[in-house]
Amino acid sequence: MSTASSGFKLSEWIFTTDHKRIGILYLIGSIAAFAVAGIMALLIRIEQMSPGATIVSDVYTGGEQYNVWLYFHGAAMILGFLIPGLTGFAANYLIPLMIGAKDVAFPRINALSVWLFWAGIVLALLTFVVPDKPDVMWTGYPPYSIKTGGNLALYVFTVHLIGFSSILASVNFLVTIIYMRAPGMGWMQLNMFIWGCFTALIIQLVFVPVLAAAVTLLLFDRYLGTHFYDPANGGDVLLYQNLFWFYSHPAVYVIFLPAMGIFYEIYATMAKNRIFNYKAAVYGMIGIVLVSGEVWVHHLYYSGMPDWIRIGQMVTTLLISVPVGLMTISLFGTLYRGAITFNIPMYYGVAALYLLLIGGLTGIPLAMTVMSVHLGETSFVHAHFHFIMGIFAAFSVFAAVDFWFPKISGRMLHEGRAKIGFWLNFIGVNVTFWPLFIIGVDGMPRRYWDYSQFPAYFGNYHKVATIGAFIVATGMIITISNWLLSAVSGAKASNNPWGSKSLEWTHTETPPGPGNFPQDVVLDGNWSPYNYSK
Amino acid sequence: MKRVVSVMAMLGLGLTALLAHAAAPVPDPAASWNHLWRDVLIDLFIIGAVFLSAGLYWVFKYRATREGQVGEGPQLTKLAAIGFAVIPAFLFMADDFYLAAKGWTVWNEYRNVPRNAVEVKVTGSMWTWSFEYENGVTTIFDPDSKTGDGLVVPVGKPVVLRMNSVDVVHSFFLPEHRVKEDLMPGRVTYLWFQPKAVGETIATCAEYCGNRHSFMWTKVKAVPQAEFDQWLANMKQGGKGA
Amino acid sequence: MANSASGHGHVHHWETSVAPLLIVGGVLFLVVFGFIGWFSYNSAMLAIVSAGIGTPLLLAGIAKWTGEALTHKPLVEGLSPIALPIFIVSEVFIFLSLFAAYWTMRLSAGPDWPPAGTPTNMNLRLPIIMTVILVASSLTYHVAEVKLEHNDRGGFITWVLISVVLGAVFLACTVYEYSHLMHMKFSPSTNAYSSIFYSITGFHASHVLVGLGAFLTVMLAAVKGLTNQYLAFCVGLYWHFVDIVWFFVASQVYYW
Ligand code: HEA
Ligand code: HEA
Ligand code: CUA
Ligand SMILES: [Cu+2]
Repeated sequence: MSTASSGFKLSEWIFTTDHKRIGILYLIGSIAAFAVAGIMALLIRIEQMSPGATIVSDVYTGGEQYNVWLYFHGAAMILGFLIPGLTGFAANYLIPLMIGAKDVAFPRINALSVWLFWAGIVLALLTFVVPDKPDVMWTGYPPYSIKTGGNLALYVFTVHLIGFSSILASVNFLVTIIYMRAPGMGWMQLNMFIWGCFTALIIQLVFVPVLAAAVTLLLFDRYLGTHFYDPANGGDVLLYQNLFWFYSHPAVYVIFLPAMGIFYEIYATMAKNRIFNYKAAVYGMIGIVLVSGEVWVHHLYYSGMPDWIRIGQMVTTLLISVPVGLMTISLFGTLYRGAITFNIPMYYGVAALYLLLIGGLTGIPLAMTVMSVHLGETSFVHAHFHFIMGIFAAFSVFAAVDFWFPKISGRMLHEGRAKIGFWLNFIGVNVTFWPLFIIGVDGMPRRYWDYSQFPAYFGNYHKVATIGAFIVATGMIITISNWLLSAVSGAKASNNPWGSKSLEWTHTETPPGPGNFPQDVVLDGNWSPYNYSK
Repeated sequence: MKRVVSVMAMLGLGLTALLAHAAAPVPDPAASWNHLWRDVLIDLFIIGAVFLSAGLYWVFKYRATREGQVGEGPQLTKLAAIGFAVIPAFLFMADDFYLAAKGWTVWNEYRNVPRNAVEVKVTGSMWTWSFEYENGVTTIFDPDSKTGDGLVVPVGKPVVLRMNSVDVVHSFFLPEHRVKEDLMPGRVTYLWFQPKAVGETIATCAEYCGNRHSFMWTKVKAVPQAEFDQWLANMKQGGKGA
Repeated sequence: MANSASGHGHVHHWETSVAPLLIVGGVLFLVVFGFIGWFSYNSAMLAIVSAGIGTPLLLAGIAKWTGEALTHKPLVEGLSPIALPIFIVSEVFIFLSLFAAYWTMRLSAGPDWPPAGTPTNMNLRLPIIMTVILVASSLTYHVAEVKLEHNDRGGFITWVLISVVLGAVFLACTVYEYSHLMHMKFSPSTNAYSSIFYSITGFHASHVLVGLGAFLTVMLAAVKGLTNQYLAFCVGLYWHFVDIVWFFVASQVYYW
């Protein structure tokens, strides 16, 4: 271990350009966003526990409070927690280690990215400080977002800062992956996680600018009096929705691809097995990049778009099940004839089997135009995306922290506490979101804090969901505090506690010092991160 | 067999539209929706069950039994690798096209408004719905006091709504009839439904529109044709509705 | 300096740089808080204070960054020539989104275009002149690059300077045109066309400005004797990109 890594120097953290430290800065920000957004979720759940005003002041102004919670919850969970948690923390920490590089291509730009992200978090948190709290939801549809008294600029700049941060990060990592692989490392020898990031970053590079443009025009309409989204003066309301979803649908794969990547790594390592049909999974990922830009209209099935587009994109959306299906086969197949050890990352891994199916398959009825015309904008959609994103992908972040914990902190995670956390999380999310499927099919709309007009039994389901949310909250508090406790008091970890074959375990110290690798990494054509049985 | 037919139908796009019309003289979109929903659930349940049981079975079966054991996952030959990609891909595609064709047939029912439909103009505003009938009668419903007629429709006759918003985006959502469509300034959108039995239900706003979004709902009342005509005539005279 | 990526041998200390944090602080205060102060809270005070904090931070950050980057002699040949094209892909998509906005409005308006409020006597000769200027600047910069290849540093500096002047003239044309149009009561809020007109041309102009900044950077570096093909190539690539975008801007926004 090098001398420099002994002792904690604050300036070496805040001015750092080292990818590992930047990754940890991302993780701190993203977990902070998750915690605050999670507390908002609890407020939402308490309010929805019964029809009528539960904790909001009254029926006339209650919406103002609720809508701010929901705005923050949605925006922070996606922009503040998952995207930075995966393409920020996990990508930063792991990409150079997995490809045998000393750092990313542009360390200083990397530092710029992480602080831009943090600036976005600060701005998002200002929501709770300013008098005119933004209430435009994470989607920010005009004309409402232009007419509301809420502070639109806060929303737009949060998107800008985090968006610009992701564009820079994409450029940085794409160059890193393309040009800084260890000598001898071919494309078909890459870790699945690297492929997940590579494909996700391409999507990010191409689509984030579209979002940036969409919200910039929103800003102009609101503050400079332009008429982009104003039909009375030649603008078009649907233009925003099209631009927004042209970005935001691919954005879900920015989350999904690295999340899958993490589970491939965990399965392969814990089952000591090769990835089943590696190439099919890789082409599946590339396939997703190719189709992800042609499906956005599935968020606009009932928005008055021309009928032929609604039908055309129903077909393209359904076809996404082909590449995802190939990835799923590889993922599940990795267990086949493995030698599986059950420890905490693998607990999350087994849960992922089920979460991926529930979340992914419920996307299918939504993808069918005619089904969506009833199911869309109901809590069925909530249940769909919480399962695939709020649980499957969020679990991938927790699993990643647990899996690479020994490498990152140099200490072992306390398994007992982690397992209690896991079970509470897993049971809690099911109790929370299954009821939402059911009342969603019966017509419970989204973004409603009062639902007195609906049959009384909706209230019972909402109550169950609220109980579930508190179970998750308990689980999360245990999980997060376990990280903190184990990082200071866990047993010392060896360099490769899981016996993995991947570079970040085999060729580094624990935790890795500056420059990552004590010796330059050189590989041959037979090397594979999954070479367990030869 | 049905599947094959549907897949072919999907390819011969124009033809199915005609067939669907000939085969279903009295379309009932909501019933078709319920029917399709059942089919989709079965389809998805089968896929989910196959994958999940395989996954869980392997997790259970291939636990490591001794220290240092490694997995023996098959090293696929080139042919096997291609087979394991292409065959499932075609199976998935077949299912996708099957679902698409089914969905498309019902969708046609949704979009082709029967000629004898009663037409009502709907205007959305923050945060009320107002309905204007062909003879100029306008009604609204006030969710706070629960007064007003809201949307009154005759049973047994299709009803088409031509919709527009004066301010922000709203969405007219009729859960019972399995339809919704957005309203926005600068465009007229439509949806139609088939009231089948006398009774009351609700329509509610499904596109976020601010503070009182959850209170933007209206009563929807289906009455026999005679009563409907009577009501319209009364309203026209400025009288009170039923 | 943080150049471990391209460094030789092993790094034994944690690399740091103050520049990124300074720049982010600068952007946050100058751009974000400045805008919010001015527009959301109509407070000149808030805007000025924010800008007062942000500007020095930003300038310090940029100075520090260029200082750190331009100290090696000769400059390290990094991966920028690969990174820049990738970044440009994302720029292309911003422009595409703006054009998509334009096309949507243009097509849905049909024959009612341009909408009421647009001056009938828009100056359509100026854009041609501007096109000529911009193309010329691309050519002059190319000459500069050739000079550099022949190790003619003086020639390089001269020709970059000429390109800078051309770029500046282009911007001056934009300023002239804007003030002229504003005078004719054609402002961003006049109608849908004015909205997109100012957005696209303004966004393009901002790129010209960044390009000029890049020109000045290579020029100063060259004056200090610090320059290399890679840096010059990157700057040129960016400038040619800005040039090509202008063709689309001009042909679509002015003449369609
Ligand atoms: C990580 C995030 C994530 C992911 C991966 C997905 C994946 C998918 N989503 Fe989801 N979705 C969201 C996040 C995500 N979604 C969010 C956040 C929203 C709401 C946004 C908002 O309005 O606020 C949303 C909303 C949403 C809608 C709009 C609903 C509406 O508002 O009306 C639709 C409609 O098509 C949809 C469909 C799909 C489909 C088809 C997939 C597919 O990719 C799923 C593919 C996976 C499988 C199919 C399972 C595995 C495959 C097999 C086992 C093979 C065999 C299967 C078949 C042959 C079917 N999603
Ligand atoms: C990653 C994405 C993500 C995640 C993880 C979650 C997690 C949760 N979500 Fe959310 N949700 C969204 C993304 C996500 N959500 C989005 C995009 C929307 C749509 C917004 C919109 O409509 O615009 C939405 C909307 C949404 C609604 C819809 C409200 C409405 O439309 O009216 C509801 C309601 O139940 C809900 C609930 C929950 C709950 C209970 C959780 C729980 O799982 C949360 C559990 C977490 C916690 C409770 C935090 C625990 C931590 C602490 C308590 C701090 C401890 C700190 C230390 C120890 C240091 N979410
Ligand atoms: Cu009107 Cu929501
Ligand atoms: Cu989508």
